[in-house]
Formats: sequence, C-alpha cells, structure tokens
Amino acid sequence: MFKIDFEKKRIKRKLILASLFCALIFTIIIVTMIGTMGPLGGQGVPEKIPFKAVLDVLSGKGYLWPDVYETIILDIRLPRILLAVLVGCALAVSGTTMQGLFKNPMADPFLIGLAPGAAVGASFSILLGISISISIYSTPFFASVGAMLTVFAVYIIARSSGKIRVETLLLTGIAVGSFLTAVMSFMMYMAGQQFRFMFFWMLGGLYRASWEVVVIAFPVIILGVIIIQLFARDLNAITLGEEPATHLGIDVEMVKKILLIFSSLIAGVAVAFTGIIGFVGLIIPHMMRILVGPDHRILLPVSALAGGIFLVWADTVARTVLSPTEIPVGIITALCGAPFFIYLLQKNKKGRFVSHAT
Amino acid sequence: MDKFTIIAAICGIILISFSTGFYLAINEESEWESKLTIIDDYGRDVSITINPQRIISLSPSTTEILFAVGMGDRVIGVDEYSDYPEEVKDKTKIGSYLTPNLEIIISLKPDLILVSDMTSKDDVAILEEKGLTVVVLAPRDIDGIIQDIRLVGAIGNNSAEANNLADSLEQRINAVTSKTSNSNLNRPSVYIEYYPYWTYGPGSFGNDLILMAGGRNVASTTITAYPEITSEFLIASNPEIIIFTVGYHASTTVEDITNRAGWDATDAVKYNRIYTIDDDIMARPGPRIVDAFEQLAEMIHPELFS
Repeated sequence: MFKIDFEKKRIKRKLILASLFCALIFTIIIVTMIGTMGPLGGQGVPEKIPFKAVLDVLSGKGYLWPDVYETIILDIRLPRILLAVLVGCALAVSGTTMQGLFKNPMADPFLIGLAPGAAVGASFSILLGISISISIYSTPFFASVGAMLTVFAVYIIARSSGKIRVETLLLTGIAVGSFLTAVMSFMMYMAGQQFRFMFFWMLGGLYRASWEVVVIAFPVIILGVIIIQLFARDLNAITLGEEPATHLGIDVEMVKKILLIFSSLIAGVAVAFTGIIGFVGLIIPHMMRILVGPDHRILLPVSALAGGIFLVWADTVARTVLSPTEIPVGIITALCGAPFFIYLLQKNKKGRFVSHAT
Repeated sequence: MDKFTIIAAICGIILISFSTGFYLAINEESEWESKLTIIDDYGRDVSITINPQRIISLSPSTTEILFAVGMGDRVIGVDEYSDYPEEVKDKTKIGSYLTPNLEIIISLKPDLILVSDMTSKDDVAILEEKGLTVVVLAPRDIDGIIQDIRLVGAIGNNSAEANNLADSLEQRINAVTSKTSNSNLNRPSVYIEYYPYWTYGPGSFGNDLILMAGGRNVASTTITAYPEITSEFLIASNPEIIIFTVGYHASTTVEDITNRAGWDATDAVKYNRIYTIDDDIMARPGPRIVDAFEQLAEMIHPELFS
C-alpha cells in the first residue's frame, strides 16, 4: 500500500515537472509575440508585429517580412525574455534555498544584505559614471562586487570558531543590510540629478537585456542551480535540524557554506543585471511548496521553472501595459504576486507553508 | 568521485565561461563610417554622419533645441514629456526618458538620437550597443546651451539658422547683463522654489540665472545643487524676493507661501514681492531658458526693466 502511494507520488512529481517545462516553452513563444513597436511608415500610432511574422522569424523565415521585425524579435525581445527566465529561475531557487537553510518562511534571496550591497555598488558606479568609461557592464560589475562583498562581510562577521549559526547570520544580515540601506539613502540624497537613475535601478527592470548579458548570466545561473540541486537531499536533512543531519553523516557546515555561496552567487548575478526585483524569491518557493510539498529534490526544480514563467509574464505586463512607457517589473511582481499569495495562504491555513513542516 | 569533486569541476566551468563571455562582450568592436566626430556632454567621442534625417529626441530640452534650429521636420520620435512646441504632439512617442522603448526606437530606424542628462550613462550604453548613434546634450550653464544649439546646427547642416538663433539669444542675454553687472547695483536676496522647500543651489541653472540677473541666491552655499531647505534657514536668510515655479509638477500658490509658519517675517512676504515663473522654461536647458532669464531679471530689478 505504502509502496503504491510512493510510486504515485513520483509519477505525479514527474508530471508536474514536465508540464511546467512545457508551460515555460509555451510562455516563451507566446510572449515573443507580444509587444509594441513604432510605426514603420513614420508618424502615427505604434504597430504590432503580426503573430505569423513572429513564428516565421523564429523558424528562420524572417526574410518574408521587413528586416526590422527580425531585429526586434531576435535582438530585443528574445534576449530580454531569456534573461527574465534566467533571473526568475535564479531568484526562485535562491529563495527556496534560503528558506530551507534559515528554516524561516520570511527568507528570500536578499535576506543577508545582498540587495542593499548591490544597490550601493550600483549607485557607486552611477555616481562615478563620468570618470570611468561608459559601458553596459560597469553598473552590473559594481553591483555584483557590492553584493558579493556584503555577503562575504556578513558571513565573516557571523562566523564564530569556524561555525555558522543561522540565527546569527540572519541578524547580522539584517544589521549590515540596514547600514547599507542608510549609506544608499545618503548617496541618493546627495546625488542630485542622478537620484532618479539610482531610484530606478532599485525598482528593477529587464530593459538592460542583450545577448551578451544572457551569455554571461546563463552559465553562472544554470550551473549554480545545478550545484544547489546536487545538495537537495542534504538541504532536506538540514531543514529538519542540524543535529539530526550531522548524525546522518552530512558535513553540515560545509553544505551550509556551499549553499550560501551559490544561492548568493545566482541571486547576485540576477541583481547585477536587473536591479532589485522583489517578491519572486519569496512567493514562488511558498507557492510551489503548497503545490509539491517541502521535499527540495522536487521543490527546487519546480520553483526554478515557476520562477522563470512568473517573471517572464510579469515583465511582459511591465513592458506592454502602459506602452510606450515601461513600468519597473518589481512593481508588477508585487502587485500580482502578493494578492495571489494571500489567496493561497487563506486556502492553506494549516501552516503547511512553513518551510520545515512536513 | 564525490560531490565536492563535481563542484570543483563545475566551478571551473563557471569561471571559464564567465570570463569568455566578458572577453567576447568587451572585444566586440563596431565599425564607424564617420564624417564628423564630436565630444558630447558626457565626454564621449561620437562619430556622426552629417545631416541626419531621422532624429529621435529623448528629452524635452533636446526636442526644443531641434525645433528652434529648424530641424523639427526631421524629428521622427520624442519622449513623452516633450510638449513644446505644439507640433511635437504629432510625433511618435517612444516612452519616457527613463525607460525608452527599444522596440519603438529601433523600428523607427533613427540615424541620430539626442538625449539629455535625464538619460543615464547606462541607458546611453544600451542604445549604442544596439548600433544607434547617440549624442548627449547636458549643458552645465547658459553658455553650454548656446554651444549645444550651434552644435546641433552643425550636425544637421543647418548652421546658418542655428547660429542666428544662438547670436540673438546671446544678444538678449547681454542686453540684461550689461545692466545687471554694474558693481554699484543693489543685489536683493532671492529664493526660488521648484517644489515645496526645494531650491536651486550652487552649480544649478537656477543659481546661475539669479546671479546673472543681479540677485543673490539665499541657497548659494548649500552642499548639493538641488537642496531641500528648512523653514529656519529660509526665515534666517530673509529673502527680499520669493519666486516659485508653476506648471505641471507644481501646485504651489502665493497663499501656501505666505501661510507657512514664520515666513511672514521675511521681507519678500512683508513687501509682497512674491512671483511665479513657468516650471518648464526654468527647468529645461533649452533656448527658452533665456525667456526665464529675462523674466527673472524683471522680477529682481523692476527699476531697470520696465
């Protein structure tokens, strides 16, 4: 009896994974068709690219249509959509890992000071922009350096005799984060004209996407996600308690260190290129936990796919709903995500959303 | 073969692909067929094909300059805040200067994009990366505006018209400064507010305009260029003239000013020297800033200009 249940569960999980994967592919194709471009003839109302043209361009028959269709679909929309998938995936996996690691339902990828660290780095780059060369990589570079330095500093401060207590780490993260937020606010206050660039960076957005950015983000995020997946079973044990995990023969300190490094790394890369996109890393893990349960072996890949799908749709809304103007995507993720999340919580009041519940 | 070996291997792969990505990205060079190379206001060398015919303007000030030098008919797209002159309303809107819509910009196939410092360096880099020619016009003072007007004329092969405009603007400025630069002139203290309690400090256009118009800026020693001041500071500095901007962003009224606690102690309120000025002409570094300058001079020295 028990064995049959177990088999059923495995099949159900595979089904969920497969259908989410199909949904992601489907999403990418559909979303590529959505957008507004300028009027080809000159003055007038913006035009839309016909669906048929999108399919033709994607299947290599773009020569049937004006050149500009191909440029827009292949050079503007596709890299942006793929970056949204990668970033959504990174934030969701990082959030899932942090929630498991800290055994805290409030945890998200930015918990240990990553976001304010990146923001200070980015502001630094924006303020210094005149003296260093102008490149699309300077702000992402400084943002990722800021994020990594902050996480490293938090880790060093929280460490005592080679061990890390998650409670200390969390509190240190909050303290360092508040400090950096103050630094950030002061920089914004003093920035004058450049204030708006910093503010806008903080709201997050995928408009910086290009193939080069995708090429840089892809290997880091995908491999980071794979490494975290390798430790899914260990993460399960740690969420149940560090002592029992040690008795199971797991090098808990080592695993914690690796998970912290890689979940910060993928979130850091995401933040570097897109600014601070909130909520994805917080609610996607919870939603998926309600759907598939707390076993990280399935929870992690499911969250990765769902995070990608969610952010792609959020970004599509962000770039089209007020076209030609664009809304920062962080506003959309919170606006759509929060009510849906509350609805899910209401439906599951038994407390299953708490990460270590089984 | 344990997990840690796998991790070491994967880290290696990450490092290699990461650095390859960066290398490829940095070493990609674009070729220019240049006819005119200029240094723009972000200090960038830009090669421009002279006489562009499809121009996009990403800020109200650059739009005003383009129209003022007679190149309005070549403007094919503007940001959504460009609202002057009237003809701009028929142009395609390409989003706000903070998030220009790349799809629209590229489909318009511009041969030149003019932006102001409302567009960040990052966004300029993004546009350039898509193969577009971008020139930043971010003048720091009135001379800078006049230089930019001549520059736009030179780029557009419209120098005669642009130089005429620039010369006449210079004449109008000189007509005012010849009177206000007199060293025996009484220089009243002035406070200009562009948003409740926010004013122009050193390094801003507002500060320059007050000085050139023969006034003293009460906020001339603040640390930032666009500072927020306190009531205490304002009352203590006792401005003889208070000017506030009106327009789309500002809904201040004279009553708001006079009703602020303690402000009735200032000379400006006592002798009723409170004036308004149009937000757009004050804030935009375009040709209409000379209108703002003339109006300010009249408010500060009504005895010189009647």
